[in-house]
Amino acid sequence: MRPSDLVAMSLGNYTRARLRSALTTAGVAIGTALVVLLIALATGAEDNVRRSIFSIGDLRLVSVQPFQPGASGLSAVPRTITDDTVSQFKRIAHVEGVFRQFDAPLGTVVEGGEDATIRPQGIEPGAPVDRGDLIAGRHLAAGDRAVAIVPGNIARLIAPSAGGAVGKRVTMRIGGAVKLGSTRIGGSGTPRDYAVTVVGVFDEQASQTSMRIPLEDALAAGAENRGLTPDALRQGTGYSGVAIEADDSQNVADIVKAVQELGFSSFSLKQVVEQIDQGFGVFRGILAGIGGVALLVAAIGIANTMVMSVLERTREIGIMKAVGAAPGDIRTLFLAEAAYVGVFGGVLGLALGVGGGQLIERIIRNLNPRANPAPIFVVGPDLALGALALALVVALVAGFLPARRAMRMSALTALRYE
Amino acid sequence: MSAPLAVEAHDLERVYASGTATVAALAGVTLAVRSGEFVAVMGPSGSGKSTLLNVIAGLERPTGGTIRVGGEDLTKLDEQALARHRSKRVGMVFQAFNLLPRYRVVENVALPLAFAGTGRALRLAKARALLERLGMSARAEHRTNELSGGELQRAAIARALVSDPAILLADEPTGNLDSANGAALIALFKELHAQGQTVLLVTHDATIAAHAERTVRMRDGRMVD
Repeated sequence: MRPSDLVAMSLGNYTRARLRSALTTAGVAIGTALVVLLIALATGAEDNVRRSIFSIGDLRLVSVQPFQPGASGLSAVPRTITDDTVSQFKRIAHVEGVFRQFDAPLGTVVEGGEDATIRPQGIEPGAPVDRGDLIAGRHLAAGDRAVAIVPGNIARLIAPSAGGAVGKRVTMRIGGAVKLGSTRIGGSGTPRDYAVTVVGVFDEQASQTSMRIPLEDALAAGAENRGLTPDALRQGTGYSGVAIEADDSQNVADIVKAVQELGFSSFSLKQVVEQIDQGFGVFRGILAGIGGVALLVAAIGIANTMVMSVLERTREIGIMKAVGAAPGDIRTLFLAEAAYVGVFGGVLGLALGVGGGQLIERIIRNLNPRANPAPIFVVGPDLALGALALALVVALVAGFLPARRAMRMSALTALRYE
Repeated sequence: MSAPLAVEAHDLERVYASGTATVAALAGVTLAVRSGEFVAVMGPSGSGKSTLLNVIAGLERPTGGTIRVGGEDLTKLDEQALARHRSKRVGMVFQAFNLLPRYRVVENVALPLAFAGTGRALRLAKARALLERLGMSARAEHRTNELSGGELQRAAIARALVSDPAILLADEPTGNLDSANGAALIALFKELHAQGQTVLLVTHDATIAAHAERTVRMRDGRMVD
């Protein structure tokens, strides 16, 4: 039998019992729509969480803390990050950049008054923390000394507007008791004043207290505070942390491992994202399972319809066999009929799922206009094609036994069937 | 032997198990039909004549003996090959017409060619030509429920002939027709035979059988005389 004849004949069979075909197809459509809707919801939720994580930071980064790997919190065992350590990090494969950081003791910006509490972070030019979040001025540059990049809220304490703070010379008082309001929140040693020029202002969403200053300045201030030399500080206390940048986020896991083998605790968002992915995989599986039950019910509907269809057309099967239809022709005809249910039901269900998702999304946005603007339902090409394929496979599996029954029917018995 | 044999049955048996008893519909039938012959098989109901026809048509498998149609041993064919036998070598006409009501007459006639893999245009052209030859052109595009009994059986004969079968098999073809239509149909069989078609017709009616070139009689699954 030619494929074109097969398509035409089985389509004729599908469209003949209109109501029955429509109802069976609707069953598949609802099942498919549910699968699409639920997986789209899970994908949307996952995208949302991932987006939030991406907004926190770069997935290529590994941050190293001056602790041994494993234990964290109070039980963490300190380890010193020295310049030797840093050069070891630089030799790890796929490492593109290593940025040292030294946190000087807490302090205040004198011109900003009592509220201008700061944590001076000594960083290297181009450090990941000092990227792309400026609202005025510039980032730290090579060779800078006695400069600072301050958060927007501090800038507004020392000038009428954030931009107005750029170029101002302010006094950074480091050490001594640091209070937030009337509460002492820390501080050590004798307070000392350093004059710095504000060269940039960053969006305080990143931090309202950190003040970015050159690494050398921070080391000098820290050393003075403790009565040491900067070199002694580098060797004895070590850096507060190191940011390692990988050439590609694919290699982050290897770098994390290498850092831990060197004896340092490390952390990367990439690993968090991987864990989230795993969690969402389970979540998605559960939702897909719920949708799958609906598809299973639809499959039983298809099987039932096909059994009825075979019974109803017993005589017709007999006639077709008598005039030369091969057993395979009969089976293919009925399978094709089931396939139509799958294809039409799948397409309809996909449309229903996508449309339903958009409708629900619109309703949610009307009820809560300030909802997160990221889409709630996400239907990618994978999901769309997967849903169509699933509907087709379900229909073919459901149609298999009835089709085989039709195929095996004896022509004579079928011809005598009333 | 002048002409090759269209049908060659030897000691053919067909036994049905019915509960504990067995019923032999064919109990050793030997029959030869030459190519171009018009043979009538006569016998009362239950004599096994329809079973014989079904075995020749490849709708039923014998439980014993040999059966060759157009030289091919049917007992050696699998289901697939038997389907090909039905579609190419034999054409079957039933008492109950057995046309498909949802197709037009011309589509019904062309149906065997569809299963044989002939393209739509070609098979419809063949079917139309055949319907014209049988005087049914005017009915080609009608649905089967718009046809009279005589017309239905003519359409069924057209369907049986559409694959140019070696032998035309007819099982009580006039059984559902009035006498006028029955006579017209028999005239058609004679005409087809005159054009060289081998015909094997099963009937219990002696007046129908009288039109055949040769009549064989069956009783209780055996040939008599």
